[in-house]
Amino acid sequence: MDIKKVNYDEEKGLYYKVLLGLLLLTAITFVQPHYFLTGSIFLAQMLIAVVKAYLIIMFYMHLKGESLITWMGFFSLTLVIVFFVIVIGFDVPNFQYGSESYITDLSANDVHTTEDVHHNTH
Amino acid sequence: MSHEYVPEIATDRDGNEHLVQGWQDDFYGGKLGFWLFMFTEVMMFGAMFLALAYYNHIHPQEFLNASASLNRLLGGTNTVVLLISALTMGLGLLKMRSGDIKGAKIMIWATILLALVFLGIKGLEWTTEYQHGVFLGLDALQAGNEHSKPLGEILFFGMYFTMTGIHGFHIILGIGLMIWLLKRINAGKVSTEHHILHWNIALYWDIVHLIWVFVFPYYYMIGAATGVSGGH
Repeated sequence: MDIKKVNYDEEKGLYYKVLLGLLLLTAITFVQPHYFLTGSIFLAQMLIAVVKAYLIIMFYMHLKGESLITWMGFFSLTLVIVFFVIVIGFDVPNFQYGSESYITDLSANDVHTTEDVHHNTH
Repeated sequence: MSHEYVPEIATDRDGNEHLVQGWQDDFYGGKLGFWLFMFTEVMMFGAMFLALAYYNHIHPQEFLNASASLNRLLGGTNTVVLLISALTMGLGLLKMRSGDIKGAKIMIWATILLALVFLGIKGLEWTTEYQHGVFLGLDALQAGNEHSKPLGEILFFGMYFTMTGIHGFHIILGIGLMIWLLKRINAGKVSTEHHILHWNIALYWDIVHLIWVFVFPYYYMIGAATGVSGGH
């Protein structure tokens, strides 16, 4: 396959711009819990992470312009998200053995001895 | 020992000879294959994030308390270190593609150095946590004794040490891959014209960075506003 040489000086600017964007988003990650969207820290943090991931995937991983791999990525991500929605949205709230499980039994939270935990499961 | 490509000849039933297509220079195929490997990485870490989200769902407050006790200064420093290492790796590949082999090697060494800094900081963090009694196998993370942390925190720290441990293992693998890449460059096997190995190792380093992009906020930041000062 014929691989063309690239011009380093022409292309390096993009890498530095992406770095700047990622550093800025990292700074926002640090200040966010104290200054904005303080009621939805988890959501805000994950949104910032998604934007960072987009920059890394598109520019550092050269996915911009790669339609086949992009579609493969979307397909895989959709599958993962569907599993997340099914597990977190439906399975977890309706976990039929919740009261019998050591991990899910909320009443076991304050219990620190094996005997008591064992007792709670019966 | 020569590594020259020798074309294979296949003979059909009628005795006619055919040249077998060689795929040694299939750059796109090599890249596509590596993306498939990276999807398996996403699935592995995705499953761990799923377990984490599940435990978080049933123990929200204890997750916040545990997150608040992590050292955000060290975690944040590692975030920046990894971010800069992604830049040096990317610039190294760019230098390779532009014909500057020496520059590419310097950038790979810089990436290795930053990876070692990351591991050093992670090691310091784990050591401090161990000294505070928070580590896999210690009483605080075992249910059923007087030092036990609440169940939600045990689950949080169990996942924290598992995921950051596996991530750290990927960093160590990355260092090994980069050293191997340097050897291949020195041997003339990776060059401006044949740089798929460099390309894929750069992709590997980016996926390691990408995983940290989600690991860091989930563990270190969700409890940042929870009153407990960070730092085990």
